[in-house]
Amino acid sequence: MKTKTFIAITLLLIASGCSSPPGTWGWYVIDPSTQNGWNNIKFLLSGFSATIRLSILAAFLSIIIGLVVALPGMSLNRWVRLPSRVYIEFVRAIPLLPMLFWVFYGLPVILKSLGLDIPIDPFWGAAITLAISDSAFTAEIYRGGIQSIEKGQTEAAKTVGLNYMQTMRYVILPQALRRILPPLANQFIYIVKMSAFASVIGMQELTRRANEVVVSEYRPLEIYSLLILEYLVLVLIISSAVRWLERKMGADQRS
Amino acid sequence: MVNTSLAVEFKNVDKWFDDFHVLKNIDLKVLTGEKIVICGPSGSGKSTLVRCINSLEQHNSGNIIVHGKEVNKNQTKGTEVSSEVGMVFQQFNLFPHLTVKENLILGPMKARGLTKKEADDRAMRLLERVKIPEQVNKYPNQLSGGQQQRVAIARSLCMEPKIMLFDEPTSALDPEMIAEVLDVIIDLAQEGITMVVVTHEMGFAKKAADRMIFMDEGRIVETGTPDDFFNNPQTERCKLFLKQILQH
Repeated sequence: MKTKTFIAITLLLIASGCSSPPGTWGWYVIDPSTQNGWNNIKFLLSGFSATIRLSILAAFLSIIIGLVVALPGMSLNRWVRLPSRVYIEFVRAIPLLPMLFWVFYGLPVILKSLGLDIPIDPFWGAAITLAISDSAFTAEIYRGGIQSIEKGQTEAAKTVGLNYMQTMRYVILPQALRRILPPLANQFIYIVKMSAFASVIGMQELTRRANEVVVSEYRPLEIYSLLILEYLVLVLIISSAVRWLERKMGADQRS
Repeated sequence: MVNTSLAVEFKNVDKWFDDFHVLKNIDLKVLTGEKIVICGPSGSGKSTLVRCINSLEQHNSGNIIVHGKEVNKNQTKGTEVSSEVGMVFQQFNLFPHLTVKENLILGPMKARGLTKKEADDRAMRLLERVKIPEQVNKYPNQLSGGQQQRVAIARSLCMEPKIMLFDEPTSALDPEMIAEVLDVIIDLAQEGITMVVVTHEMGFAKKAADRMIFMDEGRIVETGTPDDFFNNPQTERCKLFLKQILQH
């Protein structure tokens, strides 16, 4: 069988990590048994730290911005509600990459014209962009979670004298958070994946490192395959954590 | 000094839910310490009337005065519910993520500034009064409906209200749990607190009410002592209602 032979040979080539002409696999670029391959692997894997730090910071900011946007968005007063609706619709409509360019190249100009000499490095530029972009979705998740809490809870809180902030903090949010933790954690997966865009403004994360090795070695197939594997591992770890969280939430669901 | 003896006063109160005229020109005086039972068919406005007293609903015109203070009208949000008024709901509305004790001490600590110790002592005292001190560390969903409603009553009492509102407190309960909740309410009635109770438990009304109010289609149709009300109803509508709920 021709196909079987082909697959066997391909597997053999992959397994052996041998060098080969362009058009086939050339695993030597990331062969840990050679000095060059090992250096490349170390360089590529060192991007994990930046990707993880960036994702966590962006997710953290997004959770805070999301709440600040979501709360007035549920006001009965339409003028209080309006800015938050505008923010959500506006932010959701902007593609991530243009927003990243705008924040990284444009925002410093605005800050400077306001007399603020705050440089925006690639890390913060990417973190701010990811956080803002994601916060529109986070806000909607909060809204869903908070509105899913029965009206009677707010009424009962009122009758025992709690004001709006106390009602949110002690009665509504603790219950809403239980319900929205799984979707919030899913948003985190989205942030991890979107953090790859930070490579275009020069941030040294996983994708940027891969691009740099591709440029020097000219073996895109092998290096991007490894890159995809790197994200896959990261996302699989997070999603199994999410599943664990969902099980735990489900187990002590009190209602 | 007439007002000091008045707990709640409604003067020409009207309320709409959009096009629906739910309260029509309500005039009502509740004396301090008086126990009032409101009954009537569903949709007659009795729950809305009670909820207007503590601003869970806002009336559109007229005046509602609670212990000398006028209740705001037409506000959509941000009105402070008078902390002199406690309320017990049909669906209990306990906080499911908090234990029984935490349910009780939340208001006193956060809204009244009591210390943990003071609030704990008060909570235990009230749990004994509603006869479930042993449930103090359980979560609401570990309790029966009757126990949950008694916790809800204790939670309201923790704020030391002068007026207690009950909005169909036994309607969501299994029949065998109604008595334990009514017993607690009757105990409470004997202590001089002002009570406004929406209920169809006529046995309870006969025992505890000073005055009966019958509502239909947003109006107070009939009012009188339980004796007059049950034995000598004046209006046809009220006769029909009593006949229907008392025939079994």
